[in-house]
Amino acid sequence: MSKLRERAEREIGPRVIVAASTITAPARAAAAARRATGRSGRLELYFGFDDPASAFAVIDLEQRLQGRKVIFDLLPVVERGIKDDPALERKRIYGITDGRRLGRRIGLTLSRSEPIDPQQTAFLAGWVAAAPRGAALTRFCAAACRRLWFESDGPIEAERYEELWRECFGSAPTADQAAVRANEKQMTRRGPYETPAASIGGRWFFAQDRSAQIADWLDQLGWTVK
Amino acid sequence: MAGAQVDYFYSFRSPYSYLSAPRGFALADDFEIDLHFRGVLPMMMRGESVPVAKRLHTMRDVKREADRLGMPFGRIHDPLGDGATRCLAVSEYAIEQGRAREFVLAAGLGIWGEATDPATDEGLRRICEAAGLGWDGCKAALSNEAIADRVEANTNELVEIGHWGVPVFVFEGEQFWGQDRIDDLAFVLSDAGLARR
Repeated sequence: MSKLRERAEREIGPRVIVAASTITAPARAAAAARRATGRSGRLELYFGFDDPASAFAVIDLEQRLQGRKVIFDLLPVVERGIKDDPALERKRIYGITDGRRLGRRIGLTLSRSEPIDPQQTAFLAGWVAAAPRGAALTRFCAAACRRLWFESDGPIEAERYEELWRECFGSAPTADQAAVRANEKQMTRRGPYETPAASIGGRWFFAQDRSAQIADWLDQLGWTVK
Repeated sequence: MAGAQVDYFYSFRSPYSYLSAPRGFALADDFEIDLHFRGVLPMMMRGESVPVAKRLHTMRDVKREADRLGMPFGRIHDPLGDGATRCLAVSEYAIEQGRAREFVLAAGLGIWGEATDPATDEGLRRICEAAGLGWDGCKAALSNEAIADRVEANTNELVEIGHWGVPVFVFEGEQFWGQDRIDDLAFVLSDAGLARR
């Protein structure tokens, strides 16, 4: 490798990436323009119902967005992660240990001791992907995440979640698995490789670990609590 | 329960390891523990894949976390390869000299905040001297086979405990992965009655 190329890869490239990440003016200007035209901010969250970190993020962000004029855009996925990741199963098992810690941060106790197979909750992703964004959907997702990870163990019974859906929407759910596939493709195309991943104003965050950063960034963009 | 052991798996190529170091080593100030520093080879030198998207996100995320923690980050020299292995060798020597904390902090600052290249003698010497280590001893460590074996053993142990990334802390078999799980570890150590009075 030439010295110039080596320097570009080891020093210049990383330095440019870091420096570019500190530029905030375009995002702040875009947020101001949205407010000036009466529009809301938008927080997109790619999440999986089979993932305790996602459950934590959905519940936590629902609370943190209260009082802010920000749409909570919940984008469920089933298939995701690093392609052919040899650590996939170990990560899922570790997720249970870590989920206990995350739960404790919001005063909840994890009720499961085993990972959930993503296919077992794929029906929930299909329902959510088919529904219109809004308060009822947010309420359902937060309640379903609580029930899945903090209030139940063992098999997942679709009927119980259908009851919950009716409580939130007043009607039966419909499913759109094609929309879930579209979320997965979009997530891959945009960069995040794991859930939960939050995007606000052009920045990505590990949604389970960066609550304070997310709140700070929303404040910087002017989407403050009113 | 005084003298409980906490293993601290660390890679010099991991910016999250860098972020963890000041608070990781400080655990030994706050709790009655023996903190065992375990330097390991970088993921990419262990045959694990690191997608481009992950590398890009890591740089951006670490910058934000570094700012929050008040740590320098951005003048980088990626130490993948010789830089990382030379730091690992010297870190084992630093453990023998009772200066592991000083060396790890100096190396992290050099690599992630000052663009120091530890693959060169000039760069590594600067780091060693900042850590209060004599260059002759450090240089000898670079070709010490027993030290190389210890690094390999640490790397193998990370695999054996079933973990894939760093930093990882292990206390009584429980793993804490990530610089953002140090508070959780502190909670568990407090719960175990290990807080220093």
